[in-house]
Amino acid sequence: MARIVHNYPVAPGCYRMGLSPGVDRVEPGQFVMIRIPGGLDPLLRRPFSVYNVLRGRGGGIEIVYKVVGRGTGMMASLGVGDEVDVLGPLGRGFPMPGKKERVVMVAGGVGVASLHLLAKRIGYGTLLFGGRNRRDARLAGDFRDLMEVKIVTEDGSMGRKGFVTEFVEEEIGEEGTVVYACGPSAMLEKVSCIAMDRGVRCYVSLEGMMACGMGVCLGCAVKADGAYRMVCSDGPVFRCDEIDWQGMDG
Amino acid sequence: MASKKRDGMRGAVDLSVDIGGMRLKNPVMTASGTFGYGIEFADYMDLKGLGAVVVKGLSLKPRAGNPPPRIVETPCGMLNSIGLQNIGVEAFVRDKLPLLRGLRVSVIANIFGEDVDEYSEVARILDGVRGISGVEINISCPNVKKGGIAFGTDPSEARRVVSAVRKATTLPIITKLSPNVGDIGTMVRAVEDGGTDAISLINTITAMAIDIERKTSKLSQPTGGLSGPAIKPIAVRMVWEAYRTARVPVIGIGGIMTADDAIEFMIAGAAAIQVGTANFVNPRTAMDVVEGIERYMKRHGIRKVGELTGSLKV
Ligand SMILES: Cc1cc2nc3c(=O)[nH]c(=O)nc-3n(C[C@H](O)[C@H](O)[C@H](O)COP(=O)(O)OP(=O)(O)OC[C@H]3O[C@@H](n4cnc5c(N)ncnc54)[C@H](O)[C@@H]3O)c2cc1C
Ligand SMILES: Cc1cc2nc3c(=O)[nH]c(=O)nc-3n(C[C@H](O)[C@H](O)[C@H](O)COP(=O)(O)O)c2cc1C
Ligand code: FES
Repeated sequence: MARIVHNYPVAPGCYRMGLSPGVDRVEPGQFVMIRIPGGLDPLLRRPFSVYNVLRGRGGGIEIVYKVVGRGTGMMASLGVGDEVDVLGPLGRGFPMPGKKERVVMVAGGVGVASLHLLAKRIGYGTLLFGGRNRRDARLAGDFRDLMEVKIVTEDGSMGRKGFVTEFVEEEIGEEGTVVYACGPSAMLEKVSCIAMDRGVRCYVSLEGMMACGMGVCLGCAVKADGAYRMVCSDGPVFRCDEIDWQGMDG
Repeated sequence: MASKKRDGMRGAVDLSVDIGGMRLKNPVMTASGTFGYGIEFADYMDLKGLGAVVVKGLSLKPRAGNPPPRIVETPCGMLNSIGLQNIGVEAFVRDKLPLLRGLRVSVIANIFGEDVDEYSEVARILDGVRGISGVEINISCPNVKKGGIAFGTDPSEARRVVSAVRKATTLPIITKLSPNVGDIGTMVRAVEDGGTDAISLINTITAMAIDIERKTSKLSQPTGGLSGPAIKPIAVRMVWEAYRTARVPVIGIGGIMTADDAIEFMIAGAAAIQVGTANFVNPRTAMDVVEGIERYMKRHGIRKVGELTGSLKV
């Protein structure tokens, strides 16, 4: 059981939750499965990327989550001192860039959460962040100390106007770039296409409906290299050219 | 005497059970498809504390399974349409079983096929393999030769599968029954005639969940199998019905989250139980259930766990 040390809003519908104690040896891109104890509904745990690792007094982790349904709605109503059940760290994270590689991260909305630990570990490069408006862009705030941040908003209220995918091409123009992306699956597919066209190495962090998070229910299948692989245990990070994007749902 | 009852019992209680010739340390097993090949859980508990591990359903050849989405949560439960993805019986024996053997837990192989021959071939391959304590036949599987109707809903087909497996193996046989039938008693008699040594039930209940915006199934398939606490009262009722007909031991499955749930099944007639979906919620559930049953026995002065089986007062 982990205790909530903070749980506050950071952007529209998005919260940052600190949990202590933390989990051991987190790699950037790994996730935890969280459950609010007590009830049978919702029954299953919910997966969240580890956003940050907290040092000092028992250690801890942070997640940044968006309220989209019942589980996340309940999480948002919890307060400091409440307890949740945390399983993890789970999955395979992002590989580090090569010595001379340029780093480009592409994030859609709360997808930025899975890239933050990686950005901290790497400490340079460019983040291309896409959100609906300037308030969403607060999700990219922590990255400003770590790397160059470029904002794209759908309503043009901050940065450039449009979808983040429209600006990926110019960003990864050069060879010797590695791309890390997380966001809605349609966005990841576009980013992957561009990266593959350019022959640029690109890693995507996928989502999927999960029950166990540890590779045993075979529920979170994604088609990769002609076979079903599990997002939770073979991923969530995949090389973009492994994924059979045609076989993806929505 | 009264004070003894209050304090509960000191000393050891006997949790061991005999299921169709399998001597198990305790009545708690893990349900097929919810515990992988067992090895995945070794980080969370000492597997040898369990009665048995039932592994993911095995077919003759590897199977890819269904496209995503394969699971969806429903109130107090989940639907799945995994499509029986598995690595195939030979890869299991070669790659997974040696690791499981090292963990010193009884292993039950859950098997299925698209026709009777496939069932018996898988059973034959497992016969005499070191480290397998028994087979569990999943008859909730489409019968390809009979237009995809599940073996488990047709008593004569079910009997045929069981007797073919009976001829193919000397291992104890558990037949796992589908709840998607009108009269479970008829199925119990059919698989007993086929020569099963025990029965387990229930498998998942065929069910649906629809995305009303897209007007499509929430799964890639129209229907899926419902599991979890939502099905427990149905499962308890079916175990009780099966117990009243059965000559062989009954293994109760369906929505068990706690020791109290497990005990409920035993009172209804189960000689042993399996923990399924709960393994996803808390990977240590099965061990917690073992410990909880032991505490209950001490509290109620029950020396042998078998005394619980069918102890329902009517
Ligand atoms: C590896 C991984 C890492 C994730 N990291 C984060 C993160 O850091 N921050 C964050 O806000 N979200 C993250 N998610 C998504 C998050 O798990 C879901 O938003 C959450 O489970 C929804 O729960 P709910 O009960 O609120 O929604 P529900 O009521 O269950 O569903 C509401 C909506 O969310 C969708 N949904 C439900 N579960 C998932 C899921 N597992 N993946 C994708 N969509 C889902 C449903 O299809 C539905 O449209 C991650 C998902 C995965 C698989
Ligand atoms: C994801 C999933 C996969 C399953 N796979 C199998 C299987 O391969 N063979 C089988 O006999 N039963 C399978 N089952 C059924 C379970 O073993 C069990 O009978 C059912 O889920 C009811 O128990 P529960 O409510 O405790 O989960 C599966 C269940 C789930 C949820
Ligand atoms: S969530 Fe169970 S296999 Fe991935």
